[in-house]
Amino acid sequence: MTRFLARRLLLALLVVFLVTVVTFVILHLLPGGPARGVLGVKATAEQIDAFNKSQGFDQSIPVQYWDYLIRLLHGDLGASYTLNTDVSTLLAERLPKTLVLTATSTILGIIVALPLGVWQATRRGRAFDVVSTGLAFVLYATPVFFLSLLLIILFAQVWPIFPAQAAQGDTLADLLSQPGSLVLPVIAGGAATAVAYSRYMRSSTVDNLAEDYVRTARAKGTPERTILWRHVWPNSLTSVVSLIGYSIPVVFGGSLVVESMFNYPGVGLLFWTAARNADFPVLLGVVLVIAVTTVLGSLLADVLQLLIDPRVRVPGAKS
Amino acid sequence: MSELASESSSAERPRERTPSPSEAPAASESSDANAAARVLEIDDLRVGYGSTVAVDGLSVTVSRGEIVALVGESGSGKSTVALAALGLLPRSARVEGTITLAGQDIGSATPEELRQLRGRGAGMVFQEPMTALNPVLTIGFQVAESIRNHDSQPRRHKHYDDRCVELLERVGVPDAAKRLKQYPHQLSGGLRQRVLIAIAIAAGPGLILADEPTTALDVTVQQQILDLIRDIRDTEGTGTLLITHNLGVVADIADRVIVLRNGKVVEEADTETLFASPKADYTRQLLAAVPKLGDTQHEDRHAAENAVLQLRDIVVEYHGRRVVDDVSLTVDKGEIVGLVGESGSGKTTLAQCALGLVTPKSGAVDVFGGRLDSKARRRLGVVFQDPASSLDPTKTVAQTIAEPLVIHTRTGRAERQRKVRELMDAVELPQSLLDRRGHELSGGQRQRVSLARAVVLGPDLLIADEPTSALDVSVQAAVLDVLERLHVGFGFGCLFISHDLAVVDRVCDRVAVLRGGQLVEQGPCATVLHHPEHPYTQALLLASPVPDPAAQRERRRPARA
Repeated sequence: MTRFLARRLLLALLVVFLVTVVTFVILHLLPGGPARGVLGVKATAEQIDAFNKSQGFDQSIPVQYWDYLIRLLHGDLGASYTLNTDVSTLLAERLPKTLVLTATSTILGIIVALPLGVWQATRRGRAFDVVSTGLAFVLYATPVFFLSLLLIILFAQVWPIFPAQAAQGDTLADLLSQPGSLVLPVIAGGAATAVAYSRYMRSSTVDNLAEDYVRTARAKGTPERTILWRHVWPNSLTSVVSLIGYSIPVVFGGSLVVESMFNYPGVGLLFWTAARNADFPVLLGVVLVIAVTTVLGSLLADVLQLLIDPRVRVPGAKS
Repeated sequence: MSELASESSSAERPRERTPSPSEAPAASESSDANAAARVLEIDDLRVGYGSTVAVDGLSVTVSRGEIVALVGESGSGKSTVALAALGLLPRSARVEGTITLAGQDIGSATPEELRQLRGRGAGMVFQEPMTALNPVLTIGFQVAESIRNHDSQPRRHKHYDDRCVELLERVGVPDAAKRLKQYPHQLSGGLRQRVLIAIAIAAGPGLILADEPTTALDVTVQQQILDLIRDIRDTEGTGTLLITHNLGVVADIADRVIVLRNGKVVEEADTETLFASPKADYTRQLLAAVPKLGDTQHEDRHAAENAVLQLRDIVVEYHGRRVVDDVSLTVDKGEIVGLVGESGSGKTTLAQCALGLVTPKSGAVDVFGGRLDSKARRRLGVVFQDPASSLDPTKTVAQTIAEPLVIHTRTGRAERQRKVRELMDAVELPQSLLDRRGHELSGGQRQRVSLARAVVLGPDLLIADEPTSALDVSVQAAVLDVLERLHVGFGFGCLFISHDLAVVDRVCDRVAVLRGGQLVEQGPCATVLHHPEHPYTQALLLASPVPDPAAQRERRRPARA
C-alpha cells in the first residue's frame, strides 16, 4: 500500500512537471506576447523591448522555463501583469471559491446520479427508464453556457427565485453569506456530472445484475431490495468511483464557463480575464493548480477504490 | 424446518432433528408418507424462449435421501430445470406444467412465497464457484445472509456467526472462524464450492439443486465435493437433484438417472440399470463417447528419432513463485506426449515456454534442434482450449484457416482456396461453413477450425492445450478422432495438455505428470496410467470417476475406508 502510494505520488509529480513544461512552451510560442496588452496600444517599441527584457522574454524558451521552474520551487508563482498582485495571493483568494462551487456541484451531482442510475437499471426498458434517459441525453447535449442562460432566464427573471449573479466580495465568507446565489451556478455546473454518472451507474448496475452472484443471492431467498443495495450497489460503485478522479478536469473546465456566466469570482473567471490579457503568470498559475488538483483527484479515486474493493485491498489466495 | 434457522436451534446440528436416511426409505411404505417424502415433483414441464424450446415435457420426482442425476450435453435444457424449480427463470421464459417444491406449487406462489422457498425449500449449488459468490462481501456475510433470509426475526449478521462457523465446519472448511472475515478471492475453488454448499444447506432445505457442482474443479477436489454431497444426504437425509454432463460423476453418486436430449427425456432408470443395459440409442452413444482408461492399445511410436521439442531443466518463476520447477521433457517426431496435471500444476506455462510466449528463468527450449526462430515457427501449430476466444471474431472460417498461409508463404489465392477446402474435408466440416464467422459455429466446429488452422502449414510439432476440455463428450470424441486422423496424415509430434487422464490414455503415446510445477512421473501411457508408481498419479487415477457404478464403488472403497 505504501509502495503503491509512493509510486503514484512520484508519477503525479512527473505529470505536474510535464504539464508546466507544455503550458509554458505553448504560451511562449504564441505570437504577440503580453507586452502590448500590458502596456497598451500607445506603447513605443522601446517600451515594449524594455518590458520584454525585464520579463526575460528576450531569452530562449529553455532558459526562461528554467528561471520559472527555480522560482516555482521557491514557491514564487510570479506576479500578475494586469492586476498588480502576486499570483499566489490571487489564487489563495479565488481557489477556495472555485473549490466550493466545483465540490458542491460534483458531490450533489453524484448524490443525484448514483441512485438514479440504479433506479433506471432496475426499471430497464420501462417508462421511468426511457423518459429519464431521454431527459438525461437532452441535458447532456446542452452546452453549459446555454443551460446557464436558461437557468438565469427561468429562475432569475421569469420566476425571480434566485439571483442571477453570485455574491461578490473578497473572502469566501462574503460569498457564502448569500447561499441562494450559489444555487444556479451549482445546478449549471453539476448537471453534466449528474447525467454522466447516472449513465455509468446504470450500465454498471445492469451488468452486475446479470452476474452469477446475484443468482446465488436470489437462490438463497434474499429479498430483491437487499440484493440491489447490499450485493449489487457496492460492486457497481467500485467501477464508478475510479471514474470520479478523471472527471475533475471536466468539472474545472465547466466551472470556467459557469463562473463567467454567473460572474462568480473564482479561478475560472480569473483564468478567463487572464487569457484575454495574455497574463502569463496567472495563466501558468491556474493551469498548475488544475494539474495538481486533477492528479490528486485521480490518486484519491484510486485510493478510494482500493479501500472499497477487497480484491485490491486484501491479497488473494495462493494457488 | 423453519426452527432450524431460528436462534434457539443454532447450537444444534440439523442432523439431530431431521429423519435419518434409514427412516426416509422406511417412510415410503404408505402412500401418504411417500408423498411427504417427495421434496420435488415436476410434472410435464415445458419451458420455451421465443420460438426455441428448452425443456419439452419433463417429469421428475426427487424424494428425501435420494440423489437423482439429470444428464445431458450442453443445450439439453438441464440447467433450465434447476432454475425453474426455484422460479428463477427470466421473465421472458414461457413455463408450462407443474412444479411442486416442498409441497408448494411454484407456478401459483406469490413473490414472497417464492422467496421463502428459495433456500428453505431447496438450496442451490452452482457450477462456477469463482463467480457465484459476491466478490466484495465477506464469506461470513454471505453465509449469515442465507440463514437470516429465513429467520422470522432477522437480526444483525454478526448474530449468526456461531451458526456460520458450524455450517462451514459441517462442509469441511478448515479454520472456519477465520474464514468468516475473508473474501471469496482469498479462497481456492474447492473451498468456495464448499462455502456455496454451506449456503445451500444453511436454511435446512429438503432438497439440494446442484448444477454441475464439480465441473470447474480438479478431479481430486471433485471427489471431495462429491463425498460431501453424499455425506449430507446420508446424515441430513436431503434429496439432491444433480445436474451434470459427466457420466463418471453420475456413476459415482447417483441413485437414479434421467437422460435429457434437446429438452426431452430420452431414458430414465436406476443408475446400475442405466449403465449396465442402456435402452435408448442416445444413452448408448453417450456412454460410448466417454473415453475410458485402458481402452487403447498402445503401439510404440517412440522411435527415439530426432526430437521436435526438447525442454531441458526448465524453471519458470512469477514474482518469485516457482510455477515450473526443473522440468525436462522431450517430444519426438511423430509421437504424442501427454502432459497432465491439475490447475496450477504449470502445464500451460510449460506449453507457453515451448511456444516462446514465456521465457524460462533457466533451462533450454529446443524446437527442431534449435531456437524458436521464425523459420521454426512455420513448422509449429497450436490449438488452445477455448475455441470461442481463440478465433478472430471478424474473420470467416476460410480466412482463419488460410491466415498462416498468408503470413508465412506466398501461396496464390487459388492454391490457398484449394488447401482450405482440403482441410475442411480433413476436419469433417461442410464447405458451406467457409463464409461463417466464429460466433456462428458450435464449440466442436470452432475447435475443428482451430485444428485446421494449426495444421495448414503441415507442422512438424503441434501443441494442443486442453483442446477438448470445453466440449461435450460426444463432440470431444469426434474432435479426438479428427486429431488422430490428422496425426496419421501429417505425422507431427504433439504435446497434448489435458487434465483428463482417460483422454490422454486414448490419444497419447507417452505421458508426463506434473504437480505443483514438478514432474512427478513420466513414461509410456501403458506404464504410467495402468501401473503408476508415484502416489500422486495413483491418487489422480483414483479420483477421476469412471462411468461404471460397480467399478466406481470398488474404487471408492479403499479411499473411504
